[in-house]
Amino acid sequence: MAIDFTVNGVRHSVDVAPETPLLWVIRDQLGLTGTKFSCGIAQCGACTLHIDGRPVRSCSVPVSAAAGKAVTTIEGLSPDGTHPVQLAWIELDVPQCGYCQSGMIMSAVALLNKSRNPTDAEIDTEITNACRCSTYHRVRKAIRLAASRMSSQGRL
Amino acid sequence: MRTNDTNKAGLSRRDVLSNAAAATGALVVGFWMPERAAAQIISPEGATWATEPAVKEINAWVVVAPDDTVTIRIAQTELGQGVWTSNAMMVCEELQCDWSKVRPQYASANRDGQEMAPEWTLEVMGKGATDPFGGGEPEFGMRGRTGTEGIPNSLYRRMRTNAAASVKDGRYYLQLAGAEARERLLLAAAKSWGVPVAEVSSANSVITHRPTGRTTTYGQVAALAAQTPHPNPERIRIKSPLEWTLMGTEQKNLDVPLKVTGKTIYGIDVRLPGMKWAAVKTCPVYGGKVKSYDFERVRREPGVISAVEIPIPDPSLIRDRTFSAGIAVIADSWYQAKTALDKMPIEWDVPPKNAAFNSANMRAALLAALDKPGKVRVNLGDCDSVFAGATRIVEATYSTPYLPRARMEPGNATVLVTDDRVDIWIGDQSPQETRYSASRITGIPEKNVYLHMCHLGGGFGRNGNGPQAEQAIYIANQNRGTPMHLLWTREEDFVGTTYRAMGVARLRAALDAEGWPIAFEVRTAMDEKAPGAIAAFDRGPRYDTPNYRFSTHSETFHIPVGTRRGVGQPAHDFYRESFMDELAHAAGKDPYRYRRELISRTNLPYKADMIRALDMAAEMSGWGRPLPQGTARAIALEERGAEGGGHATISAQVHTVSISKQGDVRLIRVDVAHEEGFGFVNPLSVRKQIEGQITWFYNDAMHQQCNVVEGRIAENNFDRFPLSRINEDPPEINITFFKTGHWLRGMGHDRGTSLQSGIADAVFQITGKRYRDLPLRNHDLTWG
Repeated sequence: MAIDFTVNGVRHSVDVAPETPLLWVIRDQLGLTGTKFSCGIAQCGACTLHIDGRPVRSCSVPVSAAAGKAVTTIEGLSPDGTHPVQLAWIELDVPQCGYCQSGMIMSAVALLNKSRNPTDAEIDTEITNACRCSTYHRVRKAIRLAASRMSSQGRL
Repeated sequence: MRTNDTNKAGLSRRDVLSNAAAATGALVVGFWMPERAAAQIISPEGATWATEPAVKEINAWVVVAPDDTVTIRIAQTELGQGVWTSNAMMVCEELQCDWSKVRPQYASANRDGQEMAPEWTLEVMGKGATDPFGGGEPEFGMRGRTGTEGIPNSLYRRMRTNAAASVKDGRYYLQLAGAEARERLLLAAAKSWGVPVAEVSSANSVITHRPTGRTTTYGQVAALAAQTPHPNPERIRIKSPLEWTLMGTEQKNLDVPLKVTGKTIYGIDVRLPGMKWAAVKTCPVYGGKVKSYDFERVRREPGVISAVEIPIPDPSLIRDRTFSAGIAVIADSWYQAKTALDKMPIEWDVPPKNAAFNSANMRAALLAALDKPGKVRVNLGDCDSVFAGATRIVEATYSTPYLPRARMEPGNATVLVTDDRVDIWIGDQSPQETRYSASRITGIPEKNVYLHMCHLGGGFGRNGNGPQAEQAIYIANQNRGTPMHLLWTREEDFVGTTYRAMGVARLRAALDAEGWPIAFEVRTAMDEKAPGAIAAFDRGPRYDTPNYRFSTHSETFHIPVGTRRGVGQPAHDFYRESFMDELAHAAGKDPYRYRRELISRTNLPYKADMIRALDMAAEMSGWGRPLPQGTARAIALEERGAEGGGHATISAQVHTVSISKQGDVRLIRVDVAHEEGFGFVNPLSVRKQIEGQITWFYNDAMHQQCNVVEGRIAENNFDRFPLSRINEDPPEINITFFKTGHWLRGMGHDRGTSLQSGIADAVFQITGKRYRDLPLRNHDLTWG
């Protein structure tokens, strides 16, 4: 049975077992490999993307849950890599190996969409992605930098 | 699930590209054409592997395009440590090209295996390269024919990434490579203008004829330079650190823009036309085999194609480590393969001897080994008689658990074997070793094994990746003509990795009336194959004592052990620095002053640097100033190589820690004083490495452990193997660098080890309880 949803603004109809995790449809059927697989049990957040603007761990969400909804992946965050969070990440040179960073950025964007100027406690609670290189120190600074840019640009 | 058309074989490249682009707007990932010539491997944006340049190279490291874009070939693997950028900086410093036009790309491992290094890169000393601060000579690791350590004098000298050695091993010949290319570009410009080369110079890719002011660019003369040999490369001089303009400045990592857009292609992201996926299960007890499996039960599951039984990988290809045999299911997509594999009945043939191991009996065996005769590594003075006559003896026994790397990207490799050639796409810290494996497994000559290097989603110690490549090569060899992409589940990644060995140590000191150690004995025990057995204790204990004995003891276990980040150093640093805290406490002395005094009494070559590190870290932290109840400071020395007069890395850290009465630990602040030798290549990368290692080792101190239960590793995913998150990152990290006069041993793997002793000592100061077994979460940390 076909499942319809949009990914980064493009309509897709996929013929796939409805329980297939969204991650694998995105990566293998649609060829968007920026969203990563790491634990497969919704622990680490490397697979974080947005469904209707909310962050989800796509390794553990069936594709059927996206039916009729709008999915945004790292590739769709901005047309040219200039979302304020991406720019803050570049300015503070956040990534090391980079593998978790798509998910980390998607979580940060979701947090900033919800909270204009998040406190440290909010960052601690909402950014639960794992980074084995431990880029956390720069992640926190970059979230603050992006927050200040976004509010000065009236982006929220 | 029906897979996308891009997975069907037999389409033309144009069809595949246009289908994929039209259907999804997705990036079209790495492509291989059936004709198999290297030039036909299509590399999309985000691909990192070597490609055939459109124009002739200047030398093996440098290609300059007509538009002045400079491709710099990188022979080490980017795994987050910044080598993609720092290696390029070393070449660019001498090339004097426009840094904004530099595009790194991996060097060809195949070519490295065929060509010898240019003569002028071999004897790098004596070419004016001596560092002005008495830095001495660079150091090159050993080489072996199998590529285990790199190939002797191969083109890129050291196509391998380990031991935090990329910068220290690479610097001289990478600078030479840049200088050789620059001089040939200048010669070409001079030739084309008909002027003496002495009258031309260059900066930022622009060449100027000084008497006339006439200019050209590198791109315009590159073709001529490529045909202009250097007349006397033995006379090339490289810059001393005093002359650096790019090196030593903070440069953002060149791979970051693609990492924030999801475009970087890791091994897991490689897609080839006609590619099939393999999911693997191996016996969770190492050394185990397949007794039976029932493929018929899953044969008709969606997408399923076949099953392949994988034997135990030849241990001689994997550093004599014995992993397990297993089964792979091949399917159109990985999720189909994994789902079918999960449903397939498998019975294992488990070696009873290995299944009898568990953490408790292994620990007991190691503790017992401490009392058996060991290998005496150092024996200075006469420990026995001093201990016999001592009035005051302090003794402590410490332990550390088995630890995996648990890098974020699970093990994977994509392999295509045809009758005369092997192509491998993989993130790999030791590509020559993998090429050797491929040749041995397939019988295809090594010169026909092509390895296409991808960035790694974390490294933390080379073949912790275990037999991912060997398994994939085996499966592809059984399916010649079809590209096979093997991907481990996270659970399988915990089986496929090597572990840092479980270890125990007993430290003993006799103290004089003032509390200074007059005899010091160290016994350590771990698996006999564990690397790094003598770290931190060889030659001497760093701290002054007239009588010193160090012996190593071992047992033989079945868990494959390897070189996890820091190798032997982190566990041994925990033992030594924890014991120094205990001795200072027993002596009633301040742990900073106690260390400082004992270092100052030695005649170690770098003792002034060690004292400076301790002094700076203490001062930065406000050492001695009162703290609120429930908060404490701990200090420790971090050094590697400080016992000798050669390469070393020295730093000190102070950790400020609070613990609630309920036992919640919070690392509040870290103050780091770190030497920079005669200069870092990229100080920004060093800062990032230090920041990352602080939380890495906090994680080791507090949370991480793998237990052995009936011979298998019990914790095999991130639910039971916890990873520190941003809420445990210290809010304040202060790093100060200071100049010293020797070569550094590297920054990527054993900085921050002092978090272990630091947190443990803070626990003692606050709760009064001394815990000596990591991780600390196993203990009651409440107080009050």
